[in-house]
Amino acid sequence: MSTETRHQQKQQLQQEPPSSSPSGRNGQPAWLIVTLREVMVKAKDRGFAISTIVTLVLIVAGVVFNAYMSSRGEDFTVAITSEAGQSVVALADEEGRADDGNTTFSAIVAESEEAALEEVRAEEADAALIRGDDGSWTLTGKNEVSRGLNTGIGASLEAYMLETNAAAAGTSPEELLAGSELEESLLEGSAENQAVADVAGFAFSFLFYMASIIFGMAIANSVVEEKQNRVVEILATAIPVRQLLYGKVLGNTVLAMVQLALYGGAALLALNLTGTADLVGSIIPASGWFLVFFLFGFLILASIWAVLGSLASRPEDLSSNSTPVMVLIFAALGAGLFASGQLLVVASYMPVVSSVAMPIRMLNSEVALWEPILSLGIALAAAFALLYLGEKIYRRAIMQSGGALSLRKAMKLEQ
Amino acid sequence: MLQVQNLTRRFGENTAVDDVSFTVPSGKMTGFVGANGAGKTTTMRMIMGVLTAHAGSVLVDGRPVTADDRATFGYMPEERGLYPKQPILDQLVYLGQLHRMSQTDARSRAQDLLERFQLGDRGKDKLESLSLGNQQRVQIAASLLHRPSVLVLDEPFSGLDPIAVDSMVDLLREHTAQGVPVLFSSHQLDLVDRLCDNLVVLQKGRLVAAGTGDELRATAPRRHRLTVSPDAGWVREETAVKVIDVAGQDAVVELEHDDDAQRLLAAAMARGSVQEFSRIRPSLSEIYRGVSQ
Repeated sequence: MSTETRHQQKQQLQQEPPSSSPSGRNGQPAWLIVTLREVMVKAKDRGFAISTIVTLVLIVAGVVFNAYMSSRGEDFTVAITSEAGQSVVALADEEGRADDGNTTFSAIVAESEEAALEEVRAEEADAALIRGDDGSWTLTGKNEVSRGLNTGIGASLEAYMLETNAAAAGTSPEELLAGSELEESLLEGSAENQAVADVAGFAFSFLFYMASIIFGMAIANSVVEEKQNRVVEILATAIPVRQLLYGKVLGNTVLAMVQLALYGGAALLALNLTGTADLVGSIIPASGWFLVFFLFGFLILASIWAVLGSLASRPEDLSSNSTPVMVLIFAALGAGLFASGQLLVVASYMPVVSSVAMPIRMLNSEVALWEPILSLGIALAAAFALLYLGEKIYRRAIMQSGGALSLRKAMKLEQ
Repeated sequence: MLQVQNLTRRFGENTAVDDVSFTVPSGKMTGFVGANGAGKTTTMRMIMGVLTAHAGSVLVDGRPVTADDRATFGYMPEERGLYPKQPILDQLVYLGQLHRMSQTDARSRAQDLLERFQLGDRGKDKLESLSLGNQQRVQIAASLLHRPSVLVLDEPFSGLDPIAVDSMVDLLREHTAQGVPVLFSSHQLDLVDRLCDNLVVLQKGRLVAAGTGDELRATAPRRHRLTVSPDAGWVREETAVKVIDVAGQDAVVELEHDDDAQRLLAAAMARGSVQEFSRIRPSLSEIYRGVSQ
């Protein structure tokens, strides 16, 4: 080519320079573009949207159902034949209303024992309360006497008889019972608080488990997809492969965190609306820590999943090469559900497992502030180390077509 | 201008590309030919930086190529690859953004390219719902999207129908007209003939020929066609003439020097009448066949 034509071409190039000059026109870093795409693709995925909504509905329904079950009262009708019986039922009603405000007892007055039993047979009454000739009381149901009915009537009968007998003996129930009160006090949180902590611990374990698998698999699959379809070859010429990895890990981490926040938020909202939120306060600090631990633990798992994706050559390979990470995820779930004492303390410092173990420790007992901070530090160091190592393997393995690779083979690869 | 200097790549014991050097001039189409396994794809992957070279270098406008340079290249890999389950337009926009286009620019340019390939109304369709030929067109759009400064295309015409080949050719010509160097590999020698200004021929990892059409033709054997009456059989007895073919009145001969042509013509005219005496201009595909025998 002559110098003249080359000069002309240079000029033409200057008139319309390629848009993609090294400085870049859009100014967005490559990893951010990858992150945003990961999020958008997932957000537009109908299956993902449906499963998220279904889970949300289940969470809210669970809370509402629970609240309904615990506040549901019962109404009992008891057939009686005497004034004493009527007094017992009235006393039970008073107690029932005072206790949780929802259990009521009403009496049907029957002419005779036979008539009272007939009421029960006809299901007009839940049971018949009859005093025998020897003074003993019988509560007769049709084919069962429900526990609530038995307890309510039993307690009032006891109080009624105590009063009656005391009056007959010229004393009062208070005098008879003097000195018999047993005060109760707790060294640690109440059983109710413990129950809430158990539920929260289960929720932490399970949420981490679900997210680790769902979003972890999503990362691995999106890596395999690019490798299998060779898009990665085009991507690698446009941006450094490292940025691709970071974008993927970050995008799916954001998705996992948003989903987690959504689930947590829905649960809290439902608890508040149903008026069962009074115990939730005790788990808020641990829940906050859980979010942070979740983030760090997930980052580690995300790097591992990305590497597994790069080693596979088809999505099918993932099921066989994901065993190590599944073991880790199960360890976290197991620690959350079953570990206690020393084991739980050790678990609360192991990266990934600590994501569940440390918040659970914090739910159950006092933990000094330095402990979660140290544990987070360890997790963060592990996350960095794995991301660094993962990047090395990913960069090598991602360009290899052909069969699935082992970790050792991948490390030996030349780019 | 894209230059490849002494590129070498081994896979284990096998040297896939062995000390290969050539130039892809700006504004020209350079055909990259060679049998399967000759090392074309390996060379292209090294140019794109997808594969590390064991020796040698790639230069752009005389200086070593950088990652930023490569981000401005347009590349079509041998193994086609885009996202099968994603809408076409979305993934083109994504690729454009990764090539540092703004989202709006990428979108309008992608739409533009799709329309040129009669796919303008299918932007929302998933890639996998398209026929293979149409998927190929989308692949081409992906490589041209960011107005590349250099084009490296591995078998860009395979799987295209003649109409798509024509629109592809038009698009490539638009790019060369703006001074973009284009390197493309192909097994379709007629296309190479039609399109290429330059030819680079690889054989078993080694460069066997490279240059412009004229340069290559200059090194090709000087062949002439001679048509005489009554019969051309006498050329066999002529000295300094290598006979390639004689059939009745026609003969194809190879001459060592241009001077021999005048001598041969004089001899032919002395023996009878000469209907035709012409230099045979070899096509690039003939040159390719010649060097890769």
